[in-house]
Amino acid sequence: MKAASAAVLPAPTCRGERVEGMTPSTPATPPSGRVPGNAGIWVGILCVLVEFLLLFCVYFVAKAHHRDAFLTGPDQLATSAGVAITCFLLTSGYCMVKAVAAIRRDRRRAAGRWVLAAFLLGLAYPLIKYFEIRWNLAHGIDGAAGIFYTTYYYLTLNHLVHVSWGLLGLLWVAARTALGVYSPHDYSGLEAAAMYWHTTDLIWLVIFPFFYVLR
Amino acid sequence: MGHAEQIWLLLLGLTGTGAWLAETGQAGWPLSLTVAGLIAWKGRLVIDHYMEMTTADARLRRVMYAFIVAVPLLVLASHGLGDALRDFTTLR
Repeated sequence: MKAASAAVLPAPTCRGERVEGMTPSTPATPPSGRVPGNAGIWVGILCVLVEFLLLFCVYFVAKAHHRDAFLTGPDQLATSAGVAITCFLLTSGYCMVKAVAAIRRDRRRAAGRWVLAAFLLGLAYPLIKYFEIRWNLAHGIDGAAGIFYTTYYYLTLNHLVHVSWGLLGLLWVAARTALGVYSPHDYSGLEAAAMYWHTTDLIWLVIFPFFYVLR
Repeated sequence: MGHAEQIWLLLLGLTGTGAWLAETGQAGWPLSLTVAGLIAWKGRLVIDHYMEMTTADARLRRVMYAFIVAVPLLVLASHGLGDALRDFTTLR
């Protein structure tokens, strides 16, 4: 009887719509062609992508005009800080993948724990950045140390601002998950936060080689 | 080990490769090509497996793919056409 009713009742999408061919008991695989999260977050994500694409153009133009500065610049930066930030962001992103998967299976407490883990791991970013900048300043690397470092501060601090917004979003989503707001039928808010968080990941995966690897 | 764990470990492994390149890499085409490849590969992993764009709206998926193709191409163009870019962006 239960199996029969499950077969009749389609499974939900992240916004509560039901899709034929999926059952609520099926480990949720979202339907194709959908907008992950919600349309609003995608307006923000596309704006962020355009913004950073323009900033990357600034990087390339500065590099074209000052090849020597960009050749030697990465040698003075603390590579370990960049690597650590990358690892923490990727692991935090992994936690958000698990959070979305958990809420789809109606494992609400697990979803809450994964979002909280993502938030705490994400907090490592501003912490590492703080110590990295202190280390930089102790070694005479400030915003006026040369065009490479001016560009480095411009892009990385801009990214830090976006990560800070993402962290606030994760905190908000963690609280709402704890309050039981999200369910397998409606988790668009949680997924939207995950989409934004993965976008900050994606952009850092470009920034990291620009300043720590490329010459 | 689940699929998400495999992708996470692969991303960390590729980051390790980037860290090694940061310490040992010399300026030149091999470094630029490797960095462009790493950006494209890691970006594709995040877009496909973290963001699940393979099942998302086709227009959004194309925009994300365009971003992660454009950036590596800019890396290569910057390396190969640096002088032309400098001349083009010099105010006269």
